[in-house]
Amino acid sequence: MRGHVYQLGLLIPGASPIHRAPLWLKYAALSALCITVLVERTAWIAAGALATTVLLFALAGRRVLALWPRPFRSLGWLFALLAAHQWWLNGFDTAVGVVGGMVACLQAARLVLLTTPQSELLDGLVRVARPLRWVRCDPETFALTIAVMLRSIPAVAGSIRDVSDAAAARGLRPNPALLAGPVVVATVDFAHRTGDALAARGVMDQSEFR
Amino acid sequence: MDAPAPSEGVCFHEAAVVVPPDPGAVPGSAEARERTILHPCTLTLRERRVAVIGANGSGKSTLLRLINGLSRPSAGAVTVHGLDTVRDVHAVRRRVGFLFTDPLAQLIMPIVVEDVELSLKATHRERAARRQAALEALARFGLEHLAARSVYDLSGGERQLVALVSVLAAGQQVLVADEPTTLLDLRNTAKLRRVFEGLPQQVIYATHDLDFAAEADRVLVVDEGRIVFDGEARAAIDAYRRLALGGGT
Ligand SMILES: Nc1ncnc2c1ncn2[C@@H]1O[C@H](COP(=O)(O)OP(=O)(O)OP(=O)(O)O)[C@@H](O)[C@H]1O
Ligand SMILES: [Mg+2]
Repeated sequence: MRGHVYQLGLLIPGASPIHRAPLWLKYAALSALCITVLVERTAWIAAGALATTVLLFALAGRRVLALWPRPFRSLGWLFALLAAHQWWLNGFDTAVGVVGGMVACLQAARLVLLTTPQSELLDGLVRVARPLRWVRCDPETFALTIAVMLRSIPAVAGSIRDVSDAAAARGLRPNPALLAGPVVVATVDFAHRTGDALAARGVMDQSEFR
Repeated sequence: MDAPAPSEGVCFHEAAVVVPPDPGAVPGSAEARERTILHPCTLTLRERRVAVIGANGSGKSTLLRLINGLSRPSAGAVTVHGLDTVRDVHAVRRRVGFLFTDPLAQLIMPIVVEDVELSLKATHRERAARRQAALEALARFGLEHLAARSVYDLSGGERQLVALVSVLAAGQQVLVADEPTTLLDLRNTAKLRRVFEGLPQQVIYATHDLDFAAEADRVLVVDEGRIVFDGEARAAIDAYRRLALGGGT
């Protein structure tokens, strides 16, 4: 597998008020925004929520703001389809309310990811997962599992691209039936190598230190 | 367990690796039989730089993976500083860092400094101290400017150096590297070789780059799961050339 550059919301380092805000505040604001747009599904509320996300992105700096439109590139057609469907079923106001609200939630969640180092997100997760100790599950291991899972998403997406490229290079038209086998094999191989990497670094042995 | 003694080096005691038959193989084919991918070998490696060379599939990776317990010997034993790689695997891994060919397979966290911190979790419980130690580890290799970068945006050479910092961050005393320069261009290969030269650790590495192998104090030539030559670099490389290009040893 080659190096795959794209990632989920990856941190854009900075020192803006958004970057410096404590994690609990980010989560609280994110929840407040999502609950509001879910409860009040009207065009005005959605428009307000969207405008708020633009404002907050701007507050986080120019590089972060430049990433605001990013989801529309890949998911734009999905939003359009949903909006058309809602318009037809429930009218314009609800369509804007539902789809606009959804986009606002997505953007707010992205903003948290873009302005918080993953280690901080994971530490937050460790705190939240602390009660898991009661069922003899180590919160650190739990957070590491999430980190490994997040890391595997671009890797699997990348292997799909690699296999399609390989098929195309032989003049085959890539289709799901053709790709499934090799992609599963590449994914299992990736999982093996990740396991090796964790073992080689002794990362999973930490619990014995406590 | 006895107190670890670095002077004992890395020892193979009649260590062998046998892989079970592939259940899906055609009966009678090579895969349907049990296969010895490393024949019993006994060695003591104390030299500061040890290179392992040999053809594709000859067993270099198999040999190296035994040293930090990534693979277990099917027979015999491997010890590092007197610690058994099966029984004392955790203690062994705190002493032996393992560097892969592909650094992306090795880096777990998306940001450079976070990845180094991951290696330090066991030794530094406190977050600020861990961050500080990670930055110091990067600074030792002159990489502090990469701390906040995404590992996905680095060049291949930078990535391999970051992986090296992560692997050695917890104070490992032995470095095992499986073809660390294979994915690097000429300039980055030269850079990594210079970094290797300056490492205080014992370094055991496999490579297809014979110039790189020539820098070692001792070179093992592996062929079909056997160590067929063990000695000084020049003689070892000649032996490997004869073996690979025909004419026998
Ligand atoms: N888990 C395994 N199961 C079955 N066969 C294996 C396994 N691991 C390695 N082998 C086989 O053992 C042999 C030696 O493999 P190894 O990876 O050690 O070679 P290598 O010298 O590192 O080769 P390369 O230069 O290509 O990296 C190969 O024939 C390989 O197919
Ligand atoms: Mg190999």
